[in-house]
Amino acid sequence: MNFQTQRTGRHARESIVFALLRAATYAILLCGTLIVGTIAFKGAPVLFKPSFPFINTTFLTSAPETLHVFEYDGRKMELGDREYRAFRGKLAADAAANPHSEIRIPHSEQSYVYSAGGIFPCIVGTLFLVTGSMVLALFFGVSSAIYLNEYARQNAVTRLIRLAILNLAGVPSIVFGLFGFGLFVIFLGWNVSLMAGWFTLAFMVLPVVITASEEALKAVPRGYREASLALGATRWQTIRKSVLPYALPGILTSSILGIARVAGETAPIMFTAAYVVRDQLPWQVAKLGDFLFQGVMALPYHIYVVSTKIPQNEYTERVQYGSTLVFLILVALIAAASILLRNRLRKKHQW
Amino acid sequence: MVSAPAAISSDSQTTTRMSAGNITFFPPQPASPASDGPGSESRAPGLIEIAGLDFYYGEKKALDGINLSIEANRVTAFIGPSGCGKSTLLRCLNRMNDLIEDAGIRRGSIKIGGADINARGVDPIELRKRIGMVFQKSNPFPKSIYENIAYGLRIQGFKNKAEIDSRVEASLRNAALWNEVNDRLHDNALGLSGGQQQRLCIARALAVEPQVILMDEPCSALDPIATAKIEELIHELKKRYTIIIVTHSMQQAARVSDRTAFFYLGRLVEYGGTRAIFMNPSNPQTEAYVSGRFG
Amino acid sequence: MKTRSNETAPENEAAATPPPDGTNPGAHSPFAGSRSPLAPDSAQAVRRSLAARGIRAFFGSTALVSLLILTLITIFLFREGLPFFGASQREIALYRQAGLEYIDILRRAETGHIGLVRQLSDIRLRAFQHFVETGHLAVSDANARLAAFDNFADRFSDAIGPVRGLVSDIGEAATGIKTRAAVENDKAIQRQQLLDAGKASEAGQIKIEPVDFQKEIKPILDTLPACRDALRSTADELRAILAAAPSFDGRSLAARMETFQKRARAYIAALPGIENELSGWTPSEPVRWHASIVSFLTGREWITASFWQDWYGILPLFTGSLLASLIALAIAVPFGVGAAIYTSQVAARREQSLIKPAIEFISALPSVVLGFFGIAVLGELLRSLSQSPWLDWLPGFPIIERLNALTAGCLLALISMPTIFTLAEDALTNVPRALREASFALGASRLQTTLRIITPAALSGIISAVLLGFGRVIGETMVVLLCAGNRIAIPDFSAGPAVVTQPVHTMTGIIAQEMGEVVRGSTHYRALFVVGMTLFILSLAINYAAQKILRRYRLPSA
Repeated sequence: MNFQTQRTGRHARESIVFALLRAATYAILLCGTLIVGTIAFKGAPVLFKPSFPFINTTFLTSAPETLHVFEYDGRKMELGDREYRAFRGKLAADAAANPHSEIRIPHSEQSYVYSAGGIFPCIVGTLFLVTGSMVLALFFGVSSAIYLNEYARQNAVTRLIRLAILNLAGVPSIVFGLFGFGLFVIFLGWNVSLMAGWFTLAFMVLPVVITASEEALKAVPRGYREASLALGATRWQTIRKSVLPYALPGILTSSILGIARVAGETAPIMFTAAYVVRDQLPWQVAKLGDFLFQGVMALPYHIYVVSTKIPQNEYTERVQYGSTLVFLILVALIAAASILLRNRLRKKHQW
Repeated sequence: MVSAPAAISSDSQTTTRMSAGNITFFPPQPASPASDGPGSESRAPGLIEIAGLDFYYGEKKALDGINLSIEANRVTAFIGPSGCGKSTLLRCLNRMNDLIEDAGIRRGSIKIGGADINARGVDPIELRKRIGMVFQKSNPFPKSIYENIAYGLRIQGFKNKAEIDSRVEASLRNAALWNEVNDRLHDNALGLSGGQQQRLCIARALAVEPQVILMDEPCSALDPIATAKIEELIHELKKRYTIIIVTHSMQQAARVSDRTAFFYLGRLVEYGGTRAIFMNPSNPQTEAYVSGRFG
Repeated sequence: MKTRSNETAPENEAAATPPPDGTNPGAHSPFAGSRSPLAPDSAQAVRRSLAARGIRAFFGSTALVSLLILTLITIFLFREGLPFFGASQREIALYRQAGLEYIDILRRAETGHIGLVRQLSDIRLRAFQHFVETGHLAVSDANARLAAFDNFADRFSDAIGPVRGLVSDIGEAATGIKTRAAVENDKAIQRQQLLDAGKASEAGQIKIEPVDFQKEIKPILDTLPACRDALRSTADELRAILAAAPSFDGRSLAARMETFQKRARAYIAALPGIENELSGWTPSEPVRWHASIVSFLTGREWITASFWQDWYGILPLFTGSLLASLIALAIAVPFGVGAAIYTSQVAARREQSLIKPAIEFISALPSVVLGFFGIAVLGELLRSLSQSPWLDWLPGFPIIERLNALTAGCLLALISMPTIFTLAEDALTNVPRALREASFALGASRLQTTLRIITPAALSGIISAVLLGFGRVIGETMVVLLCAGNRIAIPDFSAGPAVVTQPVHTMTGIIAQEMGEVVRGSTHYRALFVVGMTLFILSLAINYAAQKILRRYRLPSA
């Protein structure tokens, strides 16, 4: 018998189609790589420097400042607001001490808002926002999942809850922003504050956390529960001792990955938590209440502000790319942390 | 079964004997007028010749030195406990195992009609067009009954509507399904009963007129009545096709097959006329299995 | 036992004493049932069963949170949004009562004329270029050749003078009425607030003089004969001017002149219609009850903080959102579904384990980062690419605006791609293995099996993946806010496929852009909430459709 290929066109057609599909796949990956690559390439000079300590600590640890660009002594000077004032002060003092010298106090020829200094308050604000919303989302999300997976039976109520979760997942983030604004900021009178941002973000990620947690709970073998119940443990003991520890790694990874994703959302915090600029750092408050009810600067919002709300020029590029790169790194770190955490928990509870 | 005991004992002599640990191959005996078995068996070189076949899933050896000669226009049954490699061997015959990553033949050869099916230049697709297969679970496509059968024909390059129509009808008749479905050819195939679905799958395999039909436990998911119908069908089909059937049910093997191969732990333990294997197995493991002591 | 801490108490008790039958929430389980013969009756057992109930109730209530949130979202969107329709209705009523509507009718004559004048100056520009570039005339000579045309154009453009004068005169009167009505309304609100606060005497000091629209509108209505005269004289004059229109030798210029004349004549013919509308207009005619809903849903203009009249029409925003999303899907569907097919059907396992996390990683890119990339890199990149001569044949190229629907669409595509990819890949992978094998066993090739068996079988999953991807992009805010160009106008679909290079504004973008700047409680503020409501309802509808398709056409698991 002869099993050789009969029609030769088939192979060619097949490989062309598959090559096209493959090209489409890698085109997507290439786009992602290009975007991250561009940002890393242009942001790296802001964030890193060739000499010790290799990291631009000013950018990471100081607040945004206005950049003054002027000519002095025939040299072009670029100074941040504080340095510029100190510089002028010194010149003025020199001039006062030496009335005959020809020290002229330069006038700021050009000033560029937010283009000097760093983004420390934004980093801090984002971290506070993410941590708070993460705690809230995990609390509500994991509890909901426990109820749905461990306690509830299939009935009208659970069906309704599942429907709500499904639909909540599709609600646009800006609508969450409007909702947070309407409920927390106005109705509850929390104003633009950390609390309002926490709840808005937490509610937004809730569907992700619930789904992830449910999947992790489902993955714990039934036998664990049955063995525990058979030993006379109550349902809650069973959940706490024989289910949660094993589900926790899964819950944490997928939830935190989800949370890292929405931590990058700008729309929900625009009207609920983010300030364009704020001089105090979050811990510079008189009492705890003030801490919860203060607005913060946030990195994503800052990126939005510096890329649209201020005049664009050669000096703004620095802060734009720098902030974006820091933001990307931050999101990646949160994701990496969740994976590390999972690995540690896995080791502890192997199954 | 009304054969005389003498015939059975003579059948046992033609049984290819091998111990579980031994991989020596006893070539099929040259053509000698065999008075055993149903019908007239000839000992011409088989349609399918398997020699020294080793098959691996990753690093796990699934088939170990299989030597087997399968004759044309017979029903050959593969039996053995779960995991013995009988399905794997079946799927080697139409190279379905190509679809599994890291799995493959490391040694040995399979020849069908004299051609090595694993040779360079062999197109598994051409191979599969001539070797039909019916699966354990009926797997009709989520299309109409008609389209299910026409699919294979279109794959083969049939374009003429009238020809496709007549082939669909012929294969449905051959699969003894025509009378049950001729008034609803364009209904979804998933609406058929389990037994009908399986016969549809057989019809689908028949439509492309293969030389060999592989059946991988075709009745394991069916009730006894549906099973009986399929077994009847197999009897009909063996007039024109070479059929290899993997089955868990020893009764079924005894009922439908002419020759039976018993596998255990990836090895061919015993191969011979069905009656000989069941009535007078030469290997103690075969005996233990067919008498129901394990498996 | 008495010294043990509260925290560990329930466990120990639980281990010691099973619950009485019936009080245990888990009584339906065989484990609970098997304990009942032991029937303990201690106070501990009662306490513990209460604790178990409490725990269950706690988890149950947290599960209700999602339901609660959905309800709260609905409530608060509607709470802040619904009053829009009342306020808008009042504004539309005032628009009529103060005579603004009357003037807008008259103004249509002016706007039409402006369009014609613009066409004339376009013709002049082309004629000038024609003379200088192909006729090799000096600039002064070219201008001299165009003197007759300029004269014609000037006369044509001046002919609208009477109408324009009227519009600006009575326009002031009408805005005056409107302002006074607004002031009186504010006073009324202030007084009401004072009364509510119990300051009756202070409230008494606020004198409200309701605007007598009948009286105030009189002067405006009295201009009707003047309007009529102005329109007629304009028509006559235009007709006279057109009769003496200059002509060009050049073929294309002559053709342009021809179209201009045709349009101008159509314009003149429409003027009596405006006149009729003016005489038929009555300020006292009540506004229809659904006027605000109609004007929101079908309004072609979104004009805010205008001295004249604010309009909140969602159409420009909706079409903008739709255009950007459709561009995104046009890119994302072939790529996303193609990649899903490749990954699930063709790629080896090792390749899969590279592709899947990479796409996961793309889905984790924050949208503001993509938006920034668009504004900083992609917009300029696309524009400079579009200026290269060998891409000239593409519609809309070269691109004029750096930020437009296409820029936003490209990035939105990247946002929807992971959603589409992941869900479609799931659907394809979940096609029963048996179907794949059956097809292969019939001698079908991988391509045939993929295209004829697997993809059709997964189609419902793929469609719902595309729908959810659509939901994802239409709700996306930052990318469109940063990259779509934010021009509030219905894209000009007459431009054909080139429409994709026009800047647009979107529903999500407008909320993000304007919410921070509006006065709380104003009509504008409420309008933004209604846009939010629209988005919310849209997202629910898309979700519903996706679920429905998934469930309706799911393969029965054979």
